[in-house]
Amino acid sequence: MAETTTSTDMSKGKNKSTAASSPAAGPGGSAEPLLDIQGLTLRLPASAAARPILDGIGLHVGRGETVGLVGESGSGKSVACRSVLGLLPRTAETEGAVRVNGTDVLGLDKQGLRDMRRNKVAMVFQDPRASVNPMRRVGAFLTEGLRVRGLSKADALARAEQLLEEVGIRDPKGALRKFPHQFSGGMLQRVVIAAALTGDPELLLADEPTTALDVTTQAEVVGILQRLQARHGTGMLFVTHDLELAAAICDRIYVMYAGRIVESQPAADLFARPRHPYTAGLLASTPRLDPDAEPPKPIPGRPVSLAEAPTGCAFADRCAFAEDRCRAEAPPLVTQGAVSVACLRADEGILP
Amino acid sequence: MTKEKIPAQASDPGETAGPLLEVAGLCRTFGDHKAVDDVAFTLAAGGSLGIVGESGSGKTTTARMLVGLETPDAGSIRVAGHERARQPRNRAERLRRAREIQMVFQDPYLSLDPRITVRDSIGEVLRLHAPELGKTGRAERLAELLDQVGLGAREAGAVPRRLSGGQRQRVAIARALAASPKVLILDEAVAALDVSIQAQILDLLVRIRREEGIAYLFVSHDLAVVKHITDDVVVLRNGRIVEAGRTAEVLANPQHPYTRLLIDSVPSEDWDPDRIAESRRALAALEA
Repeated sequence: MAETTTSTDMSKGKNKSTAASSPAAGPGGSAEPLLDIQGLTLRLPASAAARPILDGIGLHVGRGETVGLVGESGSGKSVACRSVLGLLPRTAETEGAVRVNGTDVLGLDKQGLRDMRRNKVAMVFQDPRASVNPMRRVGAFLTEGLRVRGLSKADALARAEQLLEEVGIRDPKGALRKFPHQFSGGMLQRVVIAAALTGDPELLLADEPTTALDVTTQAEVVGILQRLQARHGTGMLFVTHDLELAAAICDRIYVMYAGRIVESQPAADLFARPRHPYTAGLLASTPRLDPDAEPPKPIPGRPVSLAEAPTGCAFADRCAFAEDRCRAEAPPLVTQGAVSVACLRADEGILP
Repeated sequence: MTKEKIPAQASDPGETAGPLLEVAGLCRTFGDHKAVDDVAFTLAAGGSLGIVGESGSGKTTTARMLVGLETPDAGSIRVAGHERARQPRNRAERLRRAREIQMVFQDPYLSLDPRITVRDSIGEVLRLHAPELGKTGRAERLAELLDQVGLGAREAGAVPRRLSGGQRQRVAIARALAASPKVLILDEAVAALDVSIQAQILDLLVRIRREEGIAYLFVSHDLAVVKHITDDVVVLRNGRIVEAGRTAEVLANPQHPYTRLLIDSVPSEDWDPDRIAESRRALAALEA
């Protein structure tokens, strides 16, 4: 990371043109962002599992933009992502708003949710084997949604074939006749991506879509996602624990810790100049391949969820810079230009 | 060679004593699939060897053959001169083999008995492998092991589900160390951990190797982790070794196109999915 990139060339080499000029980059502008989450708080009530999960999450994704949501286990990144599809536990209590194209998902009834999942927002999960029915052929899996939209069987099959071709599956016709177990993990994830594209979604939610794949396969699947995104102008929310991967493909990155967003910046800036001690710690603890990289430096303690978080800053117990006031007072997320950071000491130059 | 501590300085291949672990011509076939095909490597006492590969490369099958969870079709596995490619003949030999090689798996949740506390889980190994210590001696050794992996009294009395992933992996390491093995096989042992915790466990492993002079066989798909924890590396592809050498040299100057592809695939600033896909296709064409 010796190269200090300026924010103007952050999107270079990411093969998308719409992102940099996206009007949605600033919240509350004239053009509404494709996805706009504001003050999302989520709690599981009653019973034994009563606990807060998210605390005032805010994020936005513009058309054609790739936005990373990064965090460790328990940070709430997956729950935040799923909230966009209304995929929340039935008993969950929510506050705030999750708007897709201006429509608040949290207020939608069954029919409204179904319409949105069918036509606007699609999701790709980590484990492709858990997302498909092992007993049905890939053709049936892919055409199901198309048939519901009123396509004839022949048209649906033709479209499914075209989609498989788009995600780089050789012999798409033959693939339609196959069962999921006849595909490798990487190939099946392509099928799942093809399925996600059947409704021409405006927004793609990708929840660790390459975590279960080999590195070489990961590169191909990400390449496919980027190409499709560029072609269709889809916005993408990319959830991952892998900061390096997020930095390589995202325009902007949100970092989550214990159910809150602690920092967001354009990807290249986040890497070059992290502002939150947690982000800096994550970067320092990631092993790197370049020859003169420092050995990974651990963060003491372990990541906590919002339910376990102490009062004040949830990261204070693991933070080398924490003072007494950090333990007393929860830091608000302060936005300055393209940078948002939730740290009481962020302006003191504690990080180089 | 005694099972007592071996000086750690032997990380360069010992010319006088010969390697601690010697694997030659190792093969294993499942049905008509050659999972491991003529694999050979050596590991010096106190050394650290990485076995790198993707799924289906045969790296886990190799590790499982080394500990006896899988029987090789052909080849030899020698630890300090003892052949262990065939089934052990009796209990004494099984115990001796366990003191030669121990293994830590990826998911400690699956490898620890959910009903047994950490104390009893490690105590069981000590009873089997260090009966001469006596009750008080074992209690002392247990405390020493827990301290070595950074666990306290609270964790000692807990069952695995009460512990975090990182703590469970510490238990698995302590349990493996309880048998005082000469070689520790770590099969994707840090792959399932959060990065901040992964770095803690890597630190722990580096320290233990320095203190105990134990040799590591580090099986992983993660090149960056392998870079920090191993001295030497072999790269496996479809059951065969395609490249072997000093880790730093292999990573800085890869000779085989597959090694180069693996290195290029790791996300970085100049990461280019399209170029990676292209070299992957080129490699596949080359192999066809």
